[in-house]
Amino acid sequence: MTDEPPAGVDPVATPTSDVEPDDLAAPDDDPEAAPTPDVAPEDAALATVGLTRSFGALVAVDGVDLAVPAGELRAVIGPNGAGKTTLFNLVTNAIPPTDGAVWLGGRDITALAEERRPHLGLARSFQANQLFNGLTALENVRIVAQTARSGPFGLHLLGRGRSVAVDEAVALLDRLGLAGKADVVASNLSHGDQRRLGIAMALATDPSVLLLDEPTSGMGPTETRETAELIEALQAELDLTMLLIEHDMSIVLSISDRITVLNQGSVLATGTPAEVREDERVQAAYLGGVREAL
Amino acid sequence: MSGIRTWAARLGDRQVSTGWLVVWAAIVVLLALAFAMRPGLFVDQAVGGLVFGMILVLVALGLAIILGLLGVVNFAHGALFMLGAYLTYQVMQDWGLPFVVALVVVPVAVGLTGVVLERLVIQHVYEENPLIGFLATFGLALMLTEAIRATWGGSPLSVTMPAALASSANLLVTTVARFRLFTVGLAALTVLGVYLLIDRTDFGLSVRAGVLDREMAEFLGVNMPVRFVAMFFLGTAIAGLGGVLRGTEVTMDIGLGQSIVILAFVVVVVGGVGSLFGSVVAGLLIGEAVYLTPVVLRVLAGATGIGLLDVPSIGGLMPYLVMIVVLLVRPRGLFGQEGFLE
Amino acid sequence: MSRGSIVDRVTAGLPDAVGGVPLDQFRVPVGLVLVVLLLRPVIADPRMAGYPQLANTILIWMLFAASFNLLLGYTGLLSFGHAMFFGIGAYAAAVGLTRFGLPWVAAAAAGLVLSAAAAYVVARLIVQKGEIYFAMLTLAFAQAVHYVANQDPAGLTGGTTGITGASPAWLVSERGTKFVHVAGVQFDWYALLAVVFVVAMLAIWQVVRSPFGRSLVAIRENATLARSMGMNVDRYKVWAFTFAGLFAALAGVLVEVNNQGATLQLLSLSVSGDVILMTILGGSVFFFGPLAGAFVWLFAEDFLTGFNTLVLPLTELPMARIGLSGVLTYWQFFLGLLFVIVVLLSPREGIWGLLRRAVARVVALLGGGEGQ
Repeated sequence: MTDEPPAGVDPVATPTSDVEPDDLAAPDDDPEAAPTPDVAPEDAALATVGLTRSFGALVAVDGVDLAVPAGELRAVIGPNGAGKTTLFNLVTNAIPPTDGAVWLGGRDITALAEERRPHLGLARSFQANQLFNGLTALENVRIVAQTARSGPFGLHLLGRGRSVAVDEAVALLDRLGLAGKADVVASNLSHGDQRRLGIAMALATDPSVLLLDEPTSGMGPTETRETAELIEALQAELDLTMLLIEHDMSIVLSISDRITVLNQGSVLATGTPAEVREDERVQAAYLGGVREAL
Repeated sequence: MSGIRTWAARLGDRQVSTGWLVVWAAIVVLLALAFAMRPGLFVDQAVGGLVFGMILVLVALGLAIILGLLGVVNFAHGALFMLGAYLTYQVMQDWGLPFVVALVVVPVAVGLTGVVLERLVIQHVYEENPLIGFLATFGLALMLTEAIRATWGGSPLSVTMPAALASSANLLVTTVARFRLFTVGLAALTVLGVYLLIDRTDFGLSVRAGVLDREMAEFLGVNMPVRFVAMFFLGTAIAGLGGVLRGTEVTMDIGLGQSIVILAFVVVVVGGVGSLFGSVVAGLLIGEAVYLTPVVLRVLAGATGIGLLDVPSIGGLMPYLVMIVVLLVRPRGLFGQEGFLE
Repeated sequence: MSRGSIVDRVTAGLPDAVGGVPLDQFRVPVGLVLVVLLLRPVIADPRMAGYPQLANTILIWMLFAASFNLLLGYTGLLSFGHAMFFGIGAYAAAVGLTRFGLPWVAAAAAGLVLSAAAAYVVARLIVQKGEIYFAMLTLAFAQAVHYVANQDPAGLTGGTTGITGASPAWLVSERGTKFVHVAGVQFDWYALLAVVFVVAMLAIWQVVRSPFGRSLVAIRENATLARSMGMNVDRYKVWAFTFAGLFAALAGVLVEVNNQGATLQLLSLSVSGDVILMTILGGSVFFFGPLAGAFVWLFAEDFLTGFNTLVLPLTELPMARIGLSGVLTYWQFFLGLLFVIVVLLSPREGIWGLLRRAVARVVALLGGGEGQ
């Protein structure tokens, strides 16, 4: 344990290197181990370089380097308090970083305001339901779709707002299995429906990169599986790059292309599910050394 | 040196830029000039500002306690202050009892009134959007004001100052009514007492813990409803005390409640929502700004010959000007805490 | 449509209420016309106020409250200083008429422009702040305007007394009623007021139902989410504030004609406070809510203070006073009580919400199936 690399140094961040460090036990004959080549920030769909956020003396996110190639479904896992949601908040600029950079589609967007990022294709859903509570499910999705069309600000005073982007909204609700609930007020929806409404709203921004924060939290096993399948299907259909925070390991292992493990604000490991499963540091952080649980 | 460092830290760990140094220097120069040119008037006004400032501090402190610890924007606070003044009239003028009686009984009475309001109405809005609490107390203020008007009438009333405090003390350049010194002293003691209670006692600690995590505190056996009521009583009793002091010194009228609550809110906002220390600093700052600005302007007008500068009534505008300037520069007030009611 | 769903739709509460029942797009224009047609006769009825002029004041305040609700009900912004724009409109018209000899229309137009500009500037400075700071800053700016008007700069505003006798050339007064005299035709001032009212309210309605307006509603519901979904929340707030200031000023120029002048009272805190009370009482989530609130408030004030003239204010012992003066002179106490009850029970829907629910139940009982 004493000669592990310094926390926070993810070899993926080195632009020209595409080699994993030697001390990760990556079985060579494991079919899942054929890795997607690691990319430079300019070439990734979404990348962070040394992204850091401190709150006084507390460093919540510590020099996180991430590079997600286009089309990849990357799961972000880690114990509670590892900084996963904070990482998402930094990527979307819901809170500004103390240091580091965020790259989207080859562009450094670190200085870009939060409300402009969805218009460049970066969307997210939330861990704790964030909805327009008093509005119907349809209106929730519709207003996001309307915003996606008009840009961050539009003084569009003519016409009837509720007729704008309705078809897109209906289609999205349909796709997310909420067709019959279009007229239900968001706060009256069941928990699972609310989670899916959150995803529908994120999709309404017509994203290329989608951040999902614990989309299956609070769901029972059946619903969880259905949602996971839906997420996988959506990713393929819409050709999305996804970053997914999840606690349910079965989902993580079944649908993700690669996994990034966070612990105490820094990246512990990145790799395919198989690679990560074998990683000693990950096991130590999660389980105190026991291999079988995963 | 560590004392100064702590003090600098309390001002937000900010580097004091040259711009600010210039501003502060200019203010000091103007004040010094005013004092030099019109020492008597200056000290008179400075004391007046101090007295008024301490009254503001009392009301704002009560408001800040209720806001900071209970999350309720208590618009009825001014009406309770006014109740304190009118009850003082009742006790001293109508019933002819000595000032000491009023000083002890009235704040308690006002505090109890506050508790009644809390139990009947305010406790229902603790978990809601602060706006709801504000609107509800807005309505309560209206009701309380009308009830006061029904009881004592709409014409201004005044109280005869107690003889012992009616004489003046000599402050070299001017004389100051003993009562004013008494007000400042008593208010300062009250602020100190509140600070000790909240910061240094177990009771205060349990209140603060309960505010941060009510469920946990109750789980650990802390009786939160009792504490909430106690703090509400404290906050409103302090306002009542302010009413006693103010009502004895100046004439009271039915508009007193509304005008003082607005100013108290300005003080709380300037000080920074969530900071009791901020309310104290802001109250004194605004009190002095109201009273000293006209003096400074008059002196300037005399010195420069620009008659337009002499605007005695600018005092009334000062709280708002100070608030605008402070909030533009420090969006959360002087010592405001992030995330509080935002 | 089944009986149950009509009640459901009407009582779904917030979303359908803002914007009305989607397919029934004529509800608002029809409603507005009904309001102006019925208001005066109802008010003039001896059992109500007994004199028609109150209807003028009510219409003006309805417009003022509607402009305020653009901020509160539709964007979720609470302003303590809305009287500022009301007063700027009134003073601009009065000052233009008396100090500069402008025709009223020109002075009024200047007032609208000035108010909108002021609203835009103030909003740019303060919308980014948190709720309570924003509200207090609106108060501060309004107090500053009040102060300036009181100082009577360059003799423009008339200081404490304000401006009186500022009447447009086309307005004539005959036995207590105002008439508009234009191009040889004479008609009641109320008629002109009603037309301007309806047009202005329809404009507000259009703002509210437009894509812009829907964005405001989303901001009201969850501003943080709106921002993360790609909305420039601050810019929307600035424009909502600007429109609110514009329409408030329109109410202001109308009140200037109605009162033939502008007084300091129009800029006062009590005006700002009253409009908050009316709007909440009426129901901030509904388009007609503020109108209902304005009607109830002004009518109650007139109706209940009418009793006051019969009683002389007496100054004896506190205990006896309550019994003697007649409880209704303290109508504000009861209105305050009503307000507290409404805030606790129905903070967003107000009286109008309760009324709607009652009507919906009656309609459903009478056997639904209304064509949509």
